[in-house]
Amino acid sequence: MLTIDALRAYGADVDDGLRRCMNNEGFYLKLVEKAAADPSFEQLREAVEGGDLGRGFELAHALKGVTANLSLTPVETPVREITELLRSRTETDYGPYLDRIAEAKQKLTALL
Amino acid sequence: MSKAGMSMDYAGEDRERVAAMRKRQVLIVEDEFVNREILKAYLEPEYEVLCADTGGKAREMIRAGFDTLSLILLDLNLPDLHGMDILRWLREDVHFSKIPVIVMTSDKESEVESLTIGAVDFITKPYPMPKVIQARVRRIIELNETRDLIRETSRDHLTGLFNREYFFHYAEQYDHFHGEEPTDAVVMDVNHFRMINERYGKAFADEVLRRIGIAVKAFVKQNGGVACRREADRFLVYCPHRADYTALAEEVTAAAGGGMKGKIRIRLGVYSGVDKAVAMEQRFDRAKSAADTIRNSYNVTVASYDDALHEKEVYAERLLDEFQEAIDQKQFLVFFQPKFDIRPEKPALCGAEALVRWKHPELGMISPGVFIPLFESNGLVRELDHYVWREAAAQIKAWKQNPGKTVPVSINVSRVDMMDPDLPEILRGLIEDNGLAYGDLHLEITESAYTQDAKQIADTVNTLRDMGFVIEMDDFGSGYSSLNMVTTLPIDVLKLDMGFVRSAFSEGGDTRMIRVIVDIARSLNVPMIAEGVETKEQMLALKELGCDIVQGYYFSRPVPANEFEAFLKA
Repeated sequence: MLTIDALRAYGADVDDGLRRCMNNEGFYLKLVEKAAADPSFEQLREAVEGGDLGRGFELAHALKGVTANLSLTPVETPVREITELLRSRTETDYGPYLDRIAEAKQKLTALL
Repeated sequence: MSKAGMSMDYAGEDRERVAAMRKRQVLIVEDEFVNREILKAYLEPEYEVLCADTGGKAREMIRAGFDTLSLILLDLNLPDLHGMDILRWLREDVHFSKIPVIVMTSDKESEVESLTIGAVDFITKPYPMPKVIQARVRRIIELNETRDLIRETSRDHLTGLFNREYFFHYAEQYDHFHGEEPTDAVVMDVNHFRMINERYGKAFADEVLRRIGIAVKAFVKQNGGVACRREADRFLVYCPHRADYTALAEEVTAAAGGGMKGKIRIRLGVYSGVDKAVAMEQRFDRAKSAADTIRNSYNVTVASYDDALHEKEVYAERLLDEFQEAIDQKQFLVFFQPKFDIRPEKPALCGAEALVRWKHPELGMISPGVFIPLFESNGLVRELDHYVWREAAAQIKAWKQNPGKTVPVSINVSRVDMMDPDLPEILRGLIEDNGLAYGDLHLEITESAYTQDAKQIADTVNTLRDMGFVIEMDDFGSGYSSLNMVTTLPIDVLKLDMGFVRSAFSEGGDTRMIRVIVDIARSLNVPMIAEGVETKEQMLALKELGCDIVQGYYFSRPVPANEFEAFLKA
């Protein structure tokens, strides 16, 4: 079961996230669970690996908003990086970026 | 439109009442569940929160409920539509565009763009603290409701332009932000608007005004400035200076006429490069004065307030200012012009008309043609008339003593005097105070006075006649009285309008109208006086036509009392 302490240990800026959720822990945790289950993570990989950087940008951008609102720093940071690269449609090897996101997201899911 | 209510139907009013009772509605357009839930949690305690997770759903909900929505929170990245497209779509609709929109974005670039398209504010992601969002939402709803209220009270409902009060306020504000930039005050009137109203009905006339409103609005939108419908058919524009207003006059004329070419005409007056030391309303008075100079012109549609017009107004203003002083210092002089009975072989003095002159200490002799219309327009003429009457009566009294002889003197009684219920008593006082007989004063009442309120005038005239006054109808033929009315009116003398004499004896003129009027006088069994007679030929021709009495330069110009004594002694 997901707990505030576990999230804190994970590296999330829990105090900031909680404030945004009006210090309602239950509400915050519910939203984090929802974010962890967001299919956009998988869709982002598919889009980018399939070469659709435009779609990739939209997905990354959306994920950035959600993870930032919940202050899920470990996953937000790589999402923010890939969003900027995708915004300018940078031709680069996105593999390592996608891996870093997947790894952070994996750790988050493990807390559930 | 929502809260302040433009809905015309009962269903609309019902919706309004319901809206007033329940919480204000806020629409969140956001596809991300997490973000949507966070915003909902912030707003639900205070608002009824509606949610849409696609652009398509958002548009549906706005169409269905625009008149009860107090605010839209709009995410820019939606799965089907871009938020900017929704913003544009909202701005294009007259009703939807009144709903304030806060854009939610995590892009710096989108912030400015969304504001220029019409968002009132933006909220960045990650979201600021709940209290910040709540406060912003509350403030924007408040501001918008205030704006709605101002829009409702500041606009003319027919045209959507400002109304008079707000216009002057906004014009002042315009000045405030445009400092020394040259600015023009423009007044537009529809020629004979009352006739359009009467001929085609109010609905059509309103449509004309609405079309003019659209053209005027388009003009200020393109050129800057502010505009209003001041009242009825008068539009005011305060805008950056331009050299020529012909194009505007043509556009407005074309718009006003709609399909009917040439039937509706506009006159436009410009006070160009206004003097900002002059009060705002006065700037438009000046533009209006210019417009009025072309009131009856068919070819000219634009007139400017220029130095000549300014001089004229300043002059008029000065005369008005100095009126009281002139009365007190007896600057007004009463002159007497003799009337001669031309029926005998040798014309014989039979009366005089008392005429006022203004001997101004600085401006010299001022023509009554200048100051009488001025004083008539604001009621001062009544005081002036009383002054002339007093002077004339005192003079008759003086003549009765020396040279011991007098003739009846006609005094002018203007329309405002005739409306004065005290008139008979005032005149009685004059007679008694000076020891005169009622026959010593004749009363000249202009024909146009009779056309105003015929019944009341007739009653007053009857009272005056019963007292013993002789009533002369002045300017006869100019006032378009019906012949029927003339035959029933109590009058003792007809005085032919000077215009008939002038035109009869000018080149190519003819005397048929004079003959007709002589016939009328005959049938009424009253003498006819012709004035403005300048030559012996004219006098003889009038005598030939059957005219009884003549007044004019041929016999004498109006002269001061001491000169008139020569006629009495002759």
